[in-house]
Amino acid sequence: MEAVLLVSARPVRLDDLVSATGLSEGETAQALENLSARYSPEDSGIVLRAVAGGHVFSTNPACAVAVERFREEARPAPLSGAAHEVLACALYLGPLTRGSVSRVRGVNSDAVVRNLLERNLLAEAGADRDAPGSPALLAVTDAFLAAADAGSGEDFPPLNSLVSPEELARVRERLTSSEEVPDEKEG
Amino acid sequence: MTAPSTGRSLADFTVELDVYSGPYEWLLALILKEELEIFEVPLRELVGLYAGSRDPEAANALDRDTDFAGSAAALILLKSRTLSPALEPEPDGEDAAAATPEELAERLQEYLKIRRAAEHLRDRLARAAGHYASAHTLPPKPGRLRVSGDRVTLAARRAFSRLVEPPVRHLGPITVTLQELAGMIRSGLFRGPVSYEALTRDMDRLRSAVAFAAALSLAQEGVVRLIQPEPLGTLTLEPLEPNR
Repeated sequence: MEAVLLVSARPVRLDDLVSATGLSEGETAQALENLSARYSPEDSGIVLRAVAGGHVFSTNPACAVAVERFREEARPAPLSGAAHEVLACALYLGPLTRGSVSRVRGVNSDAVVRNLLERNLLAEAGADRDAPGSPALLAVTDAFLAAADAGSGEDFPPLNSLVSPEELARVRERLTSSEEVPDEKEG
Repeated sequence: MTAPSTGRSLADFTVELDVYSGPYEWLLALILKEELEIFEVPLRELVGLYAGSRDPEAANALDRDTDFAGSAAALILLKSRTLSPALEPEPDGEDAAAATPEELAERLQEYLKIRRAAEHLRDRLARAAGHYASAHTLPPKPGRLRVSGDRVTLAARRAFSRLVEPPVRHLGPITVTLQELAGMIRSGLFRGPVSYEALTRDMDRLRSAVAFAAALSLAQEGVVRLIQPEPLGTLTLEPLEPNR
């Protein structure tokens, strides 16, 4: 199993490991636990991560500088705030269309979406057949889940838990008590 | 007389911004490739940097100014478009309803949640950065490398065969030239103004069309003046050089 994981650049799902190794599902799960302990971030330059619905060997982030120096490549530039917002839309509200993303954010998001598609963090997952022109639906990819160190979409906190009810109430109060729209987006 | 523009008059202009430091041309390339968000680039500061680096005595000062003004205008347009609200109409007319404070509050609350989620994602992605997966890539399966003999034959035939000449029989021989009809117009103008209709009365459609092109050419050269008092009215050719 260790060898199978070593040669895969993508997370390997449990059933694929079962199929490749010939072990039972229980034995495979136990072996994964043992490997996870052996390749813990505290003791090893290689770590076993449970991401995107599977397991994958990765280098330990503590060794990232040495790896980047050896490969003579810089770490990819961090995403912009707009890109994070689009990813959040796709993660929590998706699959959704480009138009829906733009409506939620209040600004045109096509360019940001294109960039994320090129980075393989977003992907088109079907189409909205009920909408005129059947626009494509956007969803986050396994590469995104791996980049976020998440096993699945369930690993993220619920959307409603990220903003306190008091803060939401303040927003409503400020808007409904005055005709002026507060500048929340820029704050 | 100025030196001809090479199209890279801003090649030596470098900028120092919070979000980017380096050649201005690369900044433009990064923005166009969307590696850099346009609304994170302070355009006013950019213009200030250019104004500070400007040398009005330089031989290519005009080219530089023109190129910078053009690119800066494009950046402003791009930024304004990026920041402009989505114009897609709501299919069921929600826009009208969204104008109410209640609807706006709903939208803003939704956006606030997404914004907090984005901040959470930013932290999470930053924490998880630096993981590099196996660099091992699988070679193509041997079956994929097999190419059928027919495809090789077809490719070889295409590569080594001569191109098929396109059929031109329908074009017919060239029987008239612009120079020929320009000469005829010059002769016709010898006795004074003449109408285009009179000039082309005995011509077929091809010769009429070429005569019109010849008349335009002569007008451009300043030999004749084309007079047409009203659109689609009579077109008259008036000689400007009666002694020629």
